[in-house]
Amino acid sequence: MKKPIVFTSEREMPPMAVSLADMGHNRTGGWRYLRPIYLEKIAPCKNACPVGNDIPRILSLVSEGRYEDAWRLFRETSPLPGVCGRVCYHPCESFCNRKNFDEALSIAAIERFVADACFELEDKIPERPKRSEKIAVVGSGPAGLACAYFLAKDGYAVTVFEAASQPGGMLRLGIPSYRLPRDVLDREIELIAHWGVEFRTNTTIGHDLSIERLWEQHDAVFIATGAHRGRALNIPGEEFALQGLEFLKAVNAGQAVSVGTRVLIIGGGNTAMDCARTALRLGAQPLVVYRRMREEMPAIAEEVEEAEHEGVQFEFLAAPVAIRRLNGKLEVECIRMRLGEPDASGRRRPIPIPGSEFVLRADSVLKAVGEEPDLSFLSEHLETSEGIVIERAHGVLERAGIFIGGDAQTGPSTVAQAIRSGKEAAQAIKSFLRGERPPKPHKLEEALRINFHYFTHAPRVSTPQLPISERITNFVETKRAISGAQARAEASRCFSCGVCNNCDNCWVFCPDAAITHTNGTYRIDYDFCKGCGVCAEECPRNVISLVEEEL
Amino acid sequence: MRNFTLPERELMGSGHLGCQGCGGALAMRYVLKALGEKTIVVIPACCWTIIAGPFPYSSLKVPVLHTAFETAAVAASGVRAALDIQGDTETTVIAWAGDGGTFDIGLQSLSGAAERNENIIYICYDNEAYMNTGIQRSGATPLLAWTTTTPEKTPKSEPKKDIMGIMVAHRIPYAATATIAYPDDFIRKVQKAKSIYGTKFLHVLAPCPPGWRAPSEWAIKLSRLAVQARVFPLYEVEDGERYTLNAPQADEPALPVSEYLKLQGRFSHLTEKDIQTIQGIIDKRWQKLLKLVQS
Repeated sequence: MKKPIVFTSEREMPPMAVSLADMGHNRTGGWRYLRPIYLEKIAPCKNACPVGNDIPRILSLVSEGRYEDAWRLFRETSPLPGVCGRVCYHPCESFCNRKNFDEALSIAAIERFVADACFELEDKIPERPKRSEKIAVVGSGPAGLACAYFLAKDGYAVTVFEAASQPGGMLRLGIPSYRLPRDVLDREIELIAHWGVEFRTNTTIGHDLSIERLWEQHDAVFIATGAHRGRALNIPGEEFALQGLEFLKAVNAGQAVSVGTRVLIIGGGNTAMDCARTALRLGAQPLVVYRRMREEMPAIAEEVEEAEHEGVQFEFLAAPVAIRRLNGKLEVECIRMRLGEPDASGRRRPIPIPGSEFVLRADSVLKAVGEEPDLSFLSEHLETSEGIVIERAHGVLERAGIFIGGDAQTGPSTVAQAIRSGKEAAQAIKSFLRGERPPKPHKLEEALRINFHYFTHAPRVSTPQLPISERITNFVETKRAISGAQARAEASRCFSCGVCNNCDNCWVFCPDAAITHTNGTYRIDYDFCKGCGVCAEECPRNVISLVEEEL
Repeated sequence: MRNFTLPERELMGSGHLGCQGCGGALAMRYVLKALGEKTIVVIPACCWTIIAGPFPYSSLKVPVLHTAFETAAVAASGVRAALDIQGDTETTVIAWAGDGGTFDIGLQSLSGAAERNENIIYICYDNEAYMNTGIQRSGATPLLAWTTTTPEKTPKSEPKKDIMGIMVAHRIPYAATATIAYPDDFIRKVQKAKSIYGTKFLHVLAPCPPGWRAPSEWAIKLSRLAVQARVFPLYEVEDGERYTLNAPQADEPALPVSEYLKLQGRFSHLTEKDIQTIQGIIDKRWQKLLKLVQS
């Protein structure tokens, strides 16, 4: 550290007032009461992603055309990028900071593009210690797959038990192929199997193998059997209506299903939309009967829109009260509803209007008013086993080695939530096997202060769609992939919130020359930084924070 | 994303005595980056007399001549003449003065140097008042601004002097405005000035957080808003007649001047009517500038 110059006599002084040293002795850092620090924050998109995909870093790689690296980063957090890029409701986009500037990024379109571009790639499976513990996963939907993947990555021996003939759970049984082509699903399951996960299909737990036996043979069991039991309408003539999910399963399994011309679908959720669009493709004229208004529909808005575009009709504010069979046709007596005060779900409560009954005629009726888990195979054991405690641990029901997650625990939710649940279960199982408490998730501050000045407006990419006329006669995927150029351009729109991308602004604008940049890293010289805060203010992406100096 | 490209070399050292968020310090940093080591800086009485450091120190890694308030341009002319006699045509001589030393006290020597077309770059870093002596009004203080000599009840009643108009009227080869929020534009102009023979004048808006009564972290933001609100348009004038507008663009929607004024305590006493008056002056000046650019 430089020291001040001290003259002990006049003779030591220069003959004229000339400088002899720089101001390096003057440590102006002492003036500071706010300290700028580089503190990367979590981007709101990443924070909103149930799976925890590192979206800003992935987009940065995509913008450079590094699709393979992007794909590998996706696979750090999720085994199903190809699936999620298609069927996720992308909460990331709703929280994108860019929506306050022009339009949110089309993150889902990029995820799908990356998965498609890397379809042939395989995970690099590193040498890792094999662990002796064996884990059984019951159910091969997104929760089961995610749990199996993350355990297998850590070297555990995982066996997945699936009642159906092929793994995939609701992804295969419930989601129509015009939304999720089966080759994409097959490929991602294949990649999970590459990690050593064993799939045992056509094996129903509680029928072919008891849960008790399964528990004896394994060190831990994860139950992710989903929510497959359709709710009842509880009206006279209910037996004339088919469960929507059963209809979807039959069609998705390739069975010939005949629903006639006029198909009524009761309900407003995603199953209802899938039923309507599937029926349409079988040549029917679907009519969705929903007791509230469009705004209250629990289905993903995009699905409702697509259904409407394709020609699905809607009867809002109507609820069935009875179904009758008459001359080979069905008559559905409905009652008109009005909306009252908001209920517990925050949506306005539908109230029947007395005397407003009317009749809708149909060839078949599909009920899609929600599903619930069927855990009858489990309850018996839970009741008979002594000294087994059920406790909630990090969103996972824990019973001394038996864990439950996904829709089986929560009731119907989204694919992304199921993946999250499976991932958390994998963590809980690892902690359980090691006799530890599960690690507490640490919360990061969200990056919300974006300096818009440093960005230029650019429109959001629009995902190409198959023309309606080419869609409604078959089960070909309706959404097309964006091009590589589009993906790079779209990814370049990312603000990279909370993640430094070496823009240099902090270095450029420091009035005290107290920031150095070498090889992409910045260093603040706190001996001289006066704490003016310019760097934090001009950081485009909220990477720099100002914290109070401790006295 | 807009990225800046700045020369790496730091010729202004840390430890200087500029206040937090000093626009004048950042302006000096840019200028020395643009000019390089072969530069001599002549500084009259102004904030930078202090910022550079007291005897026997200097925060600049180039020679500095501290001189009297009214003498920046003429002292720089003298340094230039001495270099010329030695055959040194490589070294650039800049006069670096505040608004007091340019608009008011040093105006006659600046006018004389410009009239003789002395081969110097004269840079006025304008923080719009005599800041280091305690925020007294200068000829560069804007209309209705508070200073310690124009208190809130009687804020400055005269508009800011049109220093660019005065210098352009001297028909010097190059005159330009620049400010710290636009480092690329700033550095390009300094380098362009270096490449031209004769008297070059740069009018640099340098926000002063203490004097403008604004938080230090807003130094760049204020500089940017001044441009966006057309309070301080960025433009160049060659040979006293060829005008080029750099920012904001002529077709860009204008930011209301209130967006700039409301961030500064020195304007906090303004009424709606006052703001309209200021907006009127800004609009009129902008139209005049557009005409000059188009002709």
